[in-house]
Amino acid sequence: MKKSLFRPTDILELSIAYIFCFFLNLLFDYGKTLDLDSYLLEAFLKNYMDYRTLIVLVFTSIAIVFHYQMLRRKKEEIFCRILVGATVFHITIRYIQDCLRILIPVYFLSVLANFYMNFNLASNFYLVLILITYILISARQVRKYENF
Amino acid sequence: MKIFKFFVTQIFLRKAILGIGMILLLCMANYITFTAARSILSTFQGYQETNYINQEGVYIANLDPDSPMDMGFISESGTQAVYDYLNSNFDYAFYTDGFIVSIPNPDGMEISLGYMNEGYYNLKQFELSQGTDLDFNYQFDREIPVLIGKGLSKTYPVGSTIKMEESVLGRPITLKVQGVLKQNAYRSNYYALNSKTYYNFSILVPVNEEFLNHAAIDLTLNGLMDVAILGTTKEETADLGKVINDNLGLEFNFLSQQDNYDYFKEYYLHALKMICIITFVLLIVITCLSIWNAFVSVRSMLKDFTINLLVGLSDSKLKQIFYGYFGILSFLNLTAVFIITAFNRYGCWLRKDATFATYGLFGLIGMDWLAFLLVAASDILMGVIVVESMLWKIKKIPISLGVLQ
Amino acid sequence: MTRIIDLRVKEKIYKSKKTRLSILNDFSLQVAAGEKIAIVGESGAGKSSLLNIIGLIDRNYHGEYALLGSLTNDLHASKLAQWRNQKIGFVLQESALINSLTIEDNIKLPFLYAEKKTFQPEDFESVISAIGLKPILKKKPLECSGGEKARAVFARGIIMKPQIILADEPTASLDMENRERIVSLLFKMNKEFNTTVITVTHDLEIANRHDRVIQLERSK
Repeated sequence: MKKSLFRPTDILELSIAYIFCFFLNLLFDYGKTLDLDSYLLEAFLKNYMDYRTLIVLVFTSIAIVFHYQMLRRKKEEIFCRILVGATVFHITIRYIQDCLRILIPVYFLSVLANFYMNFNLASNFYLVLILITYILISARQVRKYENF
Repeated sequence: MKIFKFFVTQIFLRKAILGIGMILLLCMANYITFTAARSILSTFQGYQETNYINQEGVYIANLDPDSPMDMGFISESGTQAVYDYLNSNFDYAFYTDGFIVSIPNPDGMEISLGYMNEGYYNLKQFELSQGTDLDFNYQFDREIPVLIGKGLSKTYPVGSTIKMEESVLGRPITLKVQGVLKQNAYRSNYYALNSKTYYNFSILVPVNEEFLNHAAIDLTLNGLMDVAILGTTKEETADLGKVINDNLGLEFNFLSQQDNYDYFKEYYLHALKMICIITFVLLIVITCLSIWNAFVSVRSMLKDFTINLLVGLSDSKLKQIFYGYFGILSFLNLTAVFIITAFNRYGCWLRKDATFATYGLFGLIGMDWLAFLLVAASDILMGVIVVESMLWKIKKIPISLGVLQ
Repeated sequence: MTRIIDLRVKEKIYKSKKTRLSILNDFSLQVAAGEKIAIVGESGAGKSSLLNIIGLIDRNYHGEYALLGSLTNDLHASKLAQWRNQKIGFVLQESALINSLTIEDNIKLPFLYAEKKTFQPEDFESVISAIGLKPILKKKPLECSGGEKARAVFARGIIMKPQIILADEPTASLDMENRERIVSLLFKMNKEFNTTVITVTHDLEIANRHDRVIQLERSK
């Protein structure tokens, strides 16, 4: 952790953000399996089920906000690390690794949940791709703090 | 105003992602509140509307979900026998719709024909904007007096006639416009209270015994599915059920007022409770995420806020700025919800969906405006929670520390 | 001479989850108009806290504080904000600038909160010329040197012609030349406009150039 930009609270925040996104996806999968005897409830839930991907996408914005604010907060630290010998490239790679180290276990946890509940195991894979895209885009921000 | 403008342009917009994050969360909160509010309001309206027929001594027919359905067994003579039994033993309210005809109208809508007997007409008490009440003792082979929806009233004013080839009687008929229904008059399905059929592009045709005797089986059979027997008893409806079973091979249930109340209680009350709980939980989650987003914003803009406090910005002005900013975000969201709703309503006109086309300011009906009001109220509540949390967070950090963040 | 500050602090407490720190115990300070006062003392003695109290940004203390003859303890927060804007100028370390604004906008920031239309272009020009900030007005703080930023912070502190200037380690990270420049600007304000100057510093050489030096002790 010594070389990481992440502190325990950052890890906790990002983990919660990821867990929330996957949990939401799981909830939609669960909603699909419900055999509702109420037309009203079914019609109400249809409002969400029809826009499932869009709703999950909107909620992934919390991951974007996390990446953005965390890197802004860390700009002095990035600059100081560069001063003492780190390179932007290494900091960026380290940042991506750290994010993936949080994302991958959360993903496998959600796959396990899908498996346990007999849902399609690949139903949350699109979310991994989206979240990795956010990580890669945000990693470009590191370069901005090379010169403080 | 200039202080507010300065904050928006020089501080908030410089960290647009945080604002966008808040907009998206608000957007979800508004969507959730709006859909829940509309579902609840629509069901409530349906429930109120159904009360006109769900009265003591009224039994509403309902095809048993487990009933066999052998179309080969159903014949015109069988249906006629049922209606003969009905006519000689009961007063009943008959209504059925969904028969589409094409008659010229400026909006190019397909027109839905609804058929009702006097029993239904007396119970439903239609409100008219023009014209007079229907007469059910008309001469069957001459002009039939009808009620029309607002969308047809300009082309077919009261007193005018409409000639058409009608499928139920299988011959050309002439309808005479007797009255125009109030705009957005509707009918709720007895057992799907939140679904409605709007009458703006409908023609309501009165049917009497003679009409039913000449009508095609589509009409008589469909009408039987929802027929309401008036002023009767459980035993009498049981006899009717037997007659239907003997002649059509169908199992019918007849639900009394109490049966319907129990049904509403079991299905609707439970569903409404579930909707409220789901909505409440989702709103709590979104509020928590919004507070987190707000704290993150404070963390990122702390220096900007505290330097302004240092050079003369007061706490109360900062509060006003935050409320103003949240107000703008909320207004943007409400505008988006408004545009989407208006577009949805307008979409019914574009799709020529006559049973959902409604009139109103920007195409929105009362239920939409009420749902908007609830969305605005939930935004205000969320705004107070988020803004006060932000102010609490800022106050917790000494200005001198924030300045040198 | 008119007494401009009359402060009597019984106690100022900092509380955290584990510790409770009491500073400025039975501390009193009276300052006359036009006086130059330096506050020195080891870290944690309460120098900056004292400045925050005098500068009306900290009201969480036990005691009484009269500024310009009015008791401030019961004043409404918006009145305090107005006084911070009109009567007090803060000169802080060079990092106390908003990075997203230009140096010019940073310096003009107090005008945003002035109740009357106080901005006079000629006054602004004269301050900017005197401090030598003209060439960097359109730059952002991150594009300026430490000395330039320190002068910008100074300019913002005096732009409203305050009666009191509170300087918190204004020269802490500056080279000799810039240090001298800031100190002489402070004293020039004092001399020309009879502005009261209260400086928190670790630099004893600078402290000794003030009329009075107050030594704060760390609580035992």
